[in-house]
Amino acid sequence: MKIVAVTACPSGVAHTYMSAEALERAAKARGIEVKVETQGQIGIENRLSVEDIKDADVVILTKDIGLKETDRFKEKKIVKVGVSELVKKADQIVKKLEEMINK
Amino acid sequence: MNDLKAIFKDTRQHLMTGVSYMIPFVVAGGILLALSVVFYGQAGVPPEGTWLFDLFMIGVKGFELMVPILAGFIAFSIAERPGIAPAAIGAFVANELGAGFLGAVIAGILGGVVVFYLKKIKVPAVFRSIMPIFVIPIIGTFITAGLMQWVIGAPIASITIGLTEWLQGLQSGSIVILAIIMGLMNAFDMGGPVNKVAFAFTIMAVSEGLYNIAGINAVGVCCPPIGMGLATLLAPKKYTVSEKEAGKASFLMGLVGITEGAIPFAAGDPLRVIPSIMVGAAAGCATAGLLGVQNMIAWSGLIVLPAVTGKLQYIIAIIVGSVVTALMVNLLKKPVQEKENEEIDENIGDELDLKFE
Repeated sequence: MKIVAVTACPSGVAHTYMSAEALERAAKARGIEVKVETQGQIGIENRLSVEDIKDADVVILTKDIGLKETDRFKEKKIVKVGVSELVKKADQIVKKLEEMINK
Repeated sequence: MNDLKAIFKDTRQHLMTGVSYMIPFVVAGGILLALSVVFYGQAGVPPEGTWLFDLFMIGVKGFELMVPILAGFIAFSIAERPGIAPAAIGAFVANELGAGFLGAVIAGILGGVVVFYLKKIKVPAVFRSIMPIFVIPIIGTFITAGLMQWVIGAPIASITIGLTEWLQGLQSGSIVILAIIMGLMNAFDMGGPVNKVAFAFTIMAVSEGLYNIAGINAVGVCCPPIGMGLATLLAPKKYTVSEKEAGKASFLMGLVGITEGAIPFAAGDPLRVIPSIMVGAAAGCATAGLLGVQNMIAWSGLIVLPAVTGKLQYIIAIIVGSVVTALMVNLLKKPVQEKENEEIDENIGDELDLKFE
């Protein structure tokens, strides 16, 4: 299984990166491949490639502010979560997604 | 109509997108403006013709751009690139009438919606390239800025002026209540949406010259991270090694006005940490309100100190808020045993409401 995600928050300096870290940690703990693109104040970092997106089983997008270049995820399974929810509950979110995908 | 409903359903997301693009203007404009006043050293605008006056004007221009940038990027969030110009111009026009930030928010949404529908108009293929370059900017701006100028700009301005006068007229008792509410909002989600509402309110207040509101907000923003950093120093036994590291980072983030520093603590132990930082921030804000701290910039931490009137009172208020936070959270917390692997509660996941879109 592979998860890709895009995170962003209003100030673009803290939640964006903390949620990315939390998700990476949670996914790795479960042996799931993960790549997280951050759209912070500095711009897009760790950009998702076409292959990343093609290989992904699910795309997690944060819903606090508008994200850039979301057309890339047309036809993918998308889940939207709040950025602070992702910081706090990354473990549960990953677990739940795993169940939803394997169902 | 369904499109319109979808746009309004995501109002908060659109507003926050606008705010995220505006923040660098707030910081750049505010700090440069404050520095020019500090270097001049006489608590006033430096005289024309000096380099300090030029610096002051650079700051002022940064400030003036906040309004159109906020509106432009609210519309950007709704209607993408073509939304920016109509909304930014509309907000600029309304700002001249005194509509301020409320005007920017309304111009942003209005411009976004107008352009969103203009983009939907079907045109023959020959005209397709004319739409985004001529028709949408011109018609979109005419409608948005026209409405702001001739129809709704003045009523919004009178609301803004009324709100300003009401805030100016608040007696010390009411100021304390307002301060407590702002403190609670600042700490509640540590830089999240509720915190940003208080931030937006502060920006509005500063642009109307209500510097006491920004003084209060500045204290509320930095008390949670400073307080949590202080807590790890006061009772090291109650925190894990990684939390102690986070404590130092949190302290520093507090000094530069970033509430998010407190998040690692709240994420690990929300029921003890969040009430503590809320009470602490409210105590700090109330102190700032009572002591009449004024801050010319809508930002926080010690870096705004040059722009603060009542510097000692400002620091006292931060100390009060941070100490209250630290003492309360340490009172609530129990000593930790280091655990190698955090156990994952296997059942909590069921409460999450996730769905594929």
